[in-house]
Amino acid sequence: MKLISLKPLVNKEKCVGCGICSKVCPAATIRLEGRKAIVNEEFCRGCGACEQRCPVYAITMGKLEKPYTVSVSVDAVPYEEIEALCKSAHMHPEQIICYCTTTRAEEVAAAVLTGAKTPEEISRRTGIRMGCKVECIQPILRILKAAGIDPVRPDGYQWYGVTPTLWDISPEIKEKYKTSGFYFDEDIKILEKVIKAKGSRGDR
Amino acid sequence: MRRPIIPTAAKISQYGIHPNLLTKRMAEYPGMTSVMVKELFPDAPEVIYPSIEGDGLERIREATANALKDVDMSMIKPGQSVNVLASHHGFTLLGGQPYAAFLKMVRDEIEKRTGATDIRLRAGNGLRFRETEEYIRQYGLDVHFKGKARCIAPIDEGIPIQTEIGTLYGLKSVYDADWIVHAHNSDVREVHFHRHVDRAVKPFGMSYARIETRSTYHQNLGPRGANFTARSIFESDFVKSKFAFTAFLDMAPSGVVGVVAANDLFKLNDYLTFVGLNYYGKIMTLLGEIDECIVGLDFPCPVPYVFAAGVIYANMVGANVDLFDLDGDLPPYTWYTEAFYGKNGKPLIDDIAPVNSAIKMVIHNYAWGGYPSAFFSEQIPTIVVKKEQAELFDNDPQNLEYTKHAVISENLDTAMKFAYKTANTDKVLIFDGAIGGLNISHSLLKLLQDRAPYVSKRVDEELMPKWLRQRGISLLLSKKFNTSRF
Repeated sequence: MKLISLKPLVNKEKCVGCGICSKVCPAATIRLEGRKAIVNEEFCRGCGACEQRCPVYAITMGKLEKPYTVSVSVDAVPYEEIEALCKSAHMHPEQIICYCTTTRAEEVAAAVLTGAKTPEEISRRTGIRMGCKVECIQPILRILKAAGIDPVRPDGYQWYGVTPTLWDISPEIKEKYKTSGFYFDEDIKILEKVIKAKGSRGDR
Repeated sequence: MRRPIIPTAAKISQYGIHPNLLTKRMAEYPGMTSVMVKELFPDAPEVIYPSIEGDGLERIREATANALKDVDMSMIKPGQSVNVLASHHGFTLLGGQPYAAFLKMVRDEIEKRTGATDIRLRAGNGLRFRETEEYIRQYGLDVHFKGKARCIAPIDEGIPIQTEIGTLYGLKSVYDADWIVHAHNSDVREVHFHRHVDRAVKPFGMSYARIETRSTYHQNLGPRGANFTARSIFESDFVKSKFAFTAFLDMAPSGVVGVVAANDLFKLNDYLTFVGLNYYGKIMTLLGEIDECIVGLDFPCPVPYVFAAGVIYANMVGANVDLFDLDGDLPPYTWYTEAFYGKNGKPLIDDIAPVNSAIKMVIHNYAWGGYPSAFFSEQIPTIVVKKEQAELFDNDPQNLEYTKHAVISENLDTAMKFAYKTANTDKVLIFDGAIGGLNISHSLLKLLQDRAPYVSKRVDEELMPKWLRQRGISLLLSKKFNTSRF
């Protein structure tokens, strides 16, 4: 769940139509028309990536008159399916995967299980990736991959691809670096322990 | 009693409140004093900055030129291009001028030694994508690099890099020159993230990297394997083919020790690993001895990065455990730990250490947004001084939840009064970037002075041998570093 309280304001006089804002928008909501940036406010989630990268300072962030929240309910699908998908992605369903929005793996799994097929769509529906725009891309891609979805890349810099995890480190690499301070197997153990934890549902 | 040290000045930045709103620093509050690192630990290294000679920057320039004398630059030919790679954190050290002076000198030496003139600055960022843009202007780097200084961000255009663990992604603008020069600093800073393993290599997985790589670091490779992301990228054929040399500001909690440079980054890495443990191990362990305190955040940086004697607040939050000890898996604060707090507000597994219970209350007098910080205010009672500062956080996409867990105070006086009353302690530790020492309350001074000799002995005899062994650094090599610098 994410509170949406900001929106970008484009100064058309300053905008030079370079298109960088559209290439960095994590929700892919900006297009160029007549060499001017146009924001689709219906899907903008107010992260400010456009404002931060505009080379001519043509974008500022303004407050929304009526802030609103976006979220995907985990009750939309059987929780067992959410648990299975998260486990397949090596995550606990309650694990926080976006530190800015406190979005948990279960909500992204629910979004995927109810039809979201790209990181952009997941962002629009859950609000994830709308804070720092950086740290949560891999968990999103991992959950999509675990669901058997190979998302189509947008025509920008939004994301490039899924990367390796601890579980992909080969025995040869572990052996090569075993005295260098990297505790791969020990870290897998602690992460597996988290994945198997009961969580608040188990508490009830 | 010593008077408080003048705190690092506030800066005009889009990520913090305007300095005009900072009407009182915590160090100005009655009952505050200071202690120098050298008084606590007489074996702390001598520094070249700060210096009593002029502004001290000439010694930085001299040390940079001297360190580069032994570096081979013959691979760089006239007419070729060079990217000098820098990182935002360097500009937060000791006011930022030493790092800026160092970068300028690196540029000038490259031109003088090689005849190359197409020398660019690529200044990487964390989660505040215009931060180094502000520093480039503030320190005149755009002029010095003849209009070729650029602020780069993790969401900029990327390029795939084939590594021994698979494809990772770098920033295209980092690698768009014939050669790259890694111009960094050895401040240990985020021990909770990199665990002081391959510290010298870290920017290749962070400041110079795309979001996919940074997310690999913080989400895919585990709490102790995270920095392998950086090593993988640096060890790739592509990066090695571009790498010319490296230079580092050699940092200690009391200031700049010198400048070191090399063509072999891993040779330098061993040295920097050793001195990082040696210089920072004692002060960090000492802060872990504090039984109770009110913490003040009062520095131009995001919440976790505010400084006290070279230690960042995030490390104080985890100072109840030994962050350098690799036998410990999840520090009290790191993003892996934060991720594992369930919906009921409790850790998903029992063996996650709580945050440092010695911090009874935090007074947020001046610290920036632009870093997800709600974990800190959720875990530790926090007072944010001034509604303008609270509003800054309420309008920061990374911190929409921060003030939900905090109380807002009209001014510092009312915040301090409330903190003394409710935290039930008069010990105060201020993270305000006081150069060379710590600004603290009189009551805390006595505790630190009493505990420092014990901490010093424990680090020397017990902890250092363990920390070095865990990182594959032999005692023989460490003795060499002890007697002769790199």
